[in-house]
Amino acid sequence: MGMHGDFYQLLKGQGYQLCVPAAAGSGVDIPTATTILAFKYRDGVLVAGDRRATAGNMVMYDRTDKVLDLDRHSVMAIAGVPATAYEMARILEHSFKYYRRTQLQELSFEGKLRALSKLLKENVAAALSGTGAVAPIFAGYDVEQETAKIYFYDILGAEFEGVEYAVSGSGSPTIRGILHYLNTWGEQPLQAMSEEQAAAQALRLLTSAAEFDSATGGVNREADLYPVVKFITAAGVGTMPDARLKSLFEAKVARHV
Amino acid sequence: MYEEPYRWVEAVENRRQYLDEQFKEGSPVVALAYDAGILLLTVSKGTPKIYEIYDRLALGGMGHPADLEKLRFSLLEMAHVEGFNRSPADVTGVRMVKYGIAPVLKQAFEEVFKAPFIAKLLLAELGMKAGKSSLLTISYDGTFEEASHCAVLAANPSTQRAMLEFLHRQAPERLPLDQTITSALLAWAVGDRAQRRHEAGETEPDKTQAPAMEAPDALASYLHNRLSDKTIECALLDRNERGSSKYRVLPPDELSRTLPHDLKSSLSP
Repeated sequence: MGMHGDFYQLLKGQGYQLCVPAAAGSGVDIPTATTILAFKYRDGVLVAGDRRATAGNMVMYDRTDKVLDLDRHSVMAIAGVPATAYEMARILEHSFKYYRRTQLQELSFEGKLRALSKLLKENVAAALSGTGAVAPIFAGYDVEQETAKIYFYDILGAEFEGVEYAVSGSGSPTIRGILHYLNTWGEQPLQAMSEEQAAAQALRLLTSAAEFDSATGGVNREADLYPVVKFITAAGVGTMPDARLKSLFEAKVARHV
Repeated sequence: MYEEPYRWVEAVENRRQYLDEQFKEGSPVVALAYDAGILLLTVSKGTPKIYEIYDRLALGGMGHPADLEKLRFSLLEMAHVEGFNRSPADVTGVRMVKYGIAPVLKQAFEEVFKAPFIAKLLLAELGMKAGKSSLLTISYDGTFEEASHCAVLAANPSTQRAMLEFLHRQAPERLPLDQTITSALLAWAVGDRAQRRHEAGETEPDKTQAPAMEAPDALASYLHNRLSDKTIECALLDRNERGSSKYRVLPPDELSRTLPHDLKSSLSP
């Protein structure tokens, strides 16, 4: 089976199981909630996420990385149960590498999308039982078509293309409307923004989400805590350093809040 | 009939002779540490012989393509399952060889009723720290050796020795990439020429004449004749590579740019 380059099948052949659904209504608070977003800008796609993980009313952790590199040209932003989401990201990271190394060619962009969709479908029972729901965003650069793309998923594995932008997580309803407004009536459409303009907008959007959603972390200047902001272009995935986020926040965001 | 011990020993010896025959036409493989990682180089007729195995592991091979593929897949499966179940840091060359591939090769070699693997492998591992790299060569009978600066695969032990002696003289320490590529390519020429002589039944050259015979000009000229219908295959485990995967194939244009002018001109048709 390994000859086909399918790492997940290889794992399953060895008895691996992604998720076992627990009994519904067990009453356990599972860490969830988030705001993640992706939109196209001038050079590719920006993907950003806040850093808070909550369980019920409890803030579990404030330095979660929810935008995960899967390979040189794709990332997965996670919303939902972190344990399942991180496991999916690990499987995908290994799957893409395994495919490339066995087949001596990159997995196609479509193939990567399907791989995530398959994992979400395998996870449906756990998602419906309330112990493993994940609603991620997948963004990457399609080398064949020479364009950056955004896809978002529901917890059952349905896949939708975000032509201009996509959002997910508990804070997403707040910023979805803002993104629509900005893209339609803003000074310029999202796709015309420079990297710096796009990053400033991402910081404003996540700050807005944090304003209305207690489960979204936003920016904590005292703790030097900034969201994760990544850019995907033809050159690959890049991460904006905290120092740049800090200066952008001071210049373009803080004076307005 | 193999129940009798001496018959079994005889069968194994026959098998060794059979296998040695199979490598006569093979293309040598060179692995050489340089200042930013490890370089692997061979010359092939199209079928690749250098592969990425894991984030810091690369494989070079000699032998039957089907056997190499089978062993390559075994290594890939082992490495990825281990890296997923434990951590990428636990996927080491020594573990892959000692507990993974060497026992498989040994068993296949000694099961005289089954076909052995016609393969010799070179597994290169880029260490987490500079200077901690490991180069493991595994023979068709499962025996393996470890080195840290350079290692080679060739058809026979005398050729391997000649190549290693050349490399130790030509590149005694970690050099920049361009000089390392030149050294590796010339070492390949040393090996290929020694194999052809060995095959033609020529005697080993007198050691006092060896330095003159191995002059870079003579080797470059030899390469010019040998490379007309072949491709230089070159890959790096590059410490400076972005991300977790450190493997990178050196494309022909970059390879061509990196070669020194005198070697480049002697290689052009």
